[in-house]
Amino acid sequence: MPTEPCADVAGIDRDTRLALLRLVLLQRLFEERVLVLYRQGRIFGSVYTGRGQEAVAAAAGLALDPDDVVCPLNRELACHFARGVTVADVFRNFLGRADGPTRGRDGNMHFGVPAKGVFPLVSMLGDLVPVTVGAALAFKRRGERRVALTFAGEGAFSVGDTHEGLNLAGVLQVPAVFVLQSNRYSYSTPAERQMVNTNLAQRVRGGWSIPADRVDGTDALAFYAAVHDAVERARSGLGPQAVEALTLRMDGHAAHDDARYVPGGLREEYAERWDPVSRLEERLLLDGVAPEHLARVRDQAAAEIASGLADAETSPAPDPADLEDGVWAAPLR
Amino acid sequence: MTEGGLGAAGAGPAALGQITYLEAIRMALADALRDDERVFLLGEDIGVFGGAFGATKGLIDEFGPERVLDTPLSEEGFVGAAIGAAWMGERPIVELQFADFVTCPFDVIVTVAAKTHWRSGLALPLVIRMPSGGGVRGGPFHAGSPEGWFVGQPGLKVVCPGTVGDAYGLLRAAVDDPDPVLVFEHKGLYRRLRAPSPAPGHRTPLGRAHLARAGADATIVTYGSGVQIALDAVDVSGADVEVLDLRTVWPLDEAAVLESVEKTSRLLVLQEAARSTGVAGLVLSLVARRGFELLDAPPALHAPPDTPVPFAPELEDAYLPSVDSTVNELERLLAY
Repeated sequence: MPTEPCADVAGIDRDTRLALLRLVLLQRLFEERVLVLYRQGRIFGSVYTGRGQEAVAAAAGLALDPDDVVCPLNRELACHFARGVTVADVFRNFLGRADGPTRGRDGNMHFGVPAKGVFPLVSMLGDLVPVTVGAALAFKRRGERRVALTFAGEGAFSVGDTHEGLNLAGVLQVPAVFVLQSNRYSYSTPAERQMVNTNLAQRVRGGWSIPADRVDGTDALAFYAAVHDAVERARSGLGPQAVEALTLRMDGHAAHDDARYVPGGLREEYAERWDPVSRLEERLLLDGVAPEHLARVRDQAAAEIASGLADAETSPAPDPADLEDGVWAAPLR
Repeated sequence: MTEGGLGAAGAGPAALGQITYLEAIRMALADALRDDERVFLLGEDIGVFGGAFGATKGLIDEFGPERVLDTPLSEEGFVGAAIGAAWMGERPIVELQFADFVTCPFDVIVTVAAKTHWRSGLALPLVIRMPSGGGVRGGPFHAGSPEGWFVGQPGLKVVCPGTVGDAYGLLRAAVDDPDPVLVFEHKGLYRRLRAPSPAPGHRTPLGRAHLARAGADATIVTYGSGVQIALDAVDVSGADVEVLDLRTVWPLDEAAVLESVEKTSRLLVLQEAARSTGVAGLVLSLVARRGFELLDAPPALHAPPDTPVPFAPELEDAYLPSVDSTVNELERLLAY
């Protein structure tokens, strides 16, 4: 099966297409590198990847303005890069280094960079839905044309917080955008075991009266157009918005999980035909971008990964003497 | 988690210049709203209705529905939203209708509010107010003292005002503070305690216990409803006993506890939370570890049994510490 090129969506210029390519490649190459490090025993704990979902993360991150804020989860690495979080900083978090975003206090994708408008991920799915609503509420209170965006997958859709947050967003009519990650699996549990109606967009429209489109999340251009529209509708005061991204989580839940529970052939089909990186590259070739140019984008992304890792590896380990610093912003004793 | 009824107990006209504990809270909220545009209130039925106990009564008239924001019945949702607003630099003050309902937003409080600064250096200045405590025939879901669930949780601050002045001053200090602060108000004190109105702008410093009464023969360490009970018990007993009001129960003012025990050599911990929860374990552990040689008697604990708060008057009255039961405990300690 040949790779299906991304749709030629009108209104997305060449620079944006190339920016999306850089971001999906950064996530892909970073995650491939970090899995190797994990298997070499150079990364502790666990590793979560978003293979197959890079276009969703890249498009959502790129659709935001610099003053917007976002609560990514652990399959949205490209969203961090879109916000200007550096490759080195993400490696520092995986390596548990003193000068990383969590200073060795948390690992892998469990971090945020508040200075870049990125809230630190927590493991409890659903928690960041109401947090996002609260950030959007602050924008509305102050009359600021800013947007808060977060992600929620099928697992999060079984959690009460998600529903409380969506309901609150609707009642308060805040400028929040929810990207619904339909990647078919929550750990090993298929979507059909999470819920009866797996059409998240339909549920969000019908249940909370929040506009929600259902879009191919492996098509970077189609998803970018949809999420960009959603962000701008929210910004213009039309209340909360959602976009559902249809993808397949191509890796297991985490590095230890070989995803053997996915029916045979499905992952292979996605790798051949619906791989978001290949689909975007095919589209750019059809756009007339020279193969050498695409190779250069890939080489530059690979170089960014290599130098980021090299930087991170020179970072110091955290000092146990500092462990109790910063428990409180204003310690009382 | 809305249930009506318990807030309806009437309040008599205030004595001249005196206000109730509840009025002190309302005054603190109004002053905080007036002083800082970033402050806003959110919770269930706090707008036109004025809150389950009337703490926000009338505030919507002065500050409007955007700053006195009624929410759906959704504690995890609106506490989570307060965290998000705090992230953006607002100063949200959340009201839970009963402290028992803190089970619902427990996750976002402990997972998100408590741990974010340590993980990322991002301060989350939010205040969560909630009426705790018994004596109103509230039963297992409307009379609890769940502060102990948060005592010991890194990243949170927990205050339990036991006086009218601290009801105002601790709340104002909590709103100023850059960390998440849980304010366990005592619903039994709302209309029972009266005192001269605190000076506008008064702050009770967080993290500092207050010597409510000086004495030489024993120390009662307490907080919340225990403060008035301890003071009354000391009066009844006629003994020369020190009463230390913790005010902030987490983190604990360890120096104040040890200083008092050093002076009196006898310790009674009095609390309304069931005996294996609350703050007692923290205080007793501290004194066992660092004050053992100061003691002339085993430290004592007066607290309810390890059950939920019972409903029937006969049961609840037996369950809660009273002035009489505290006098008994005190006399036993002094006789050792």
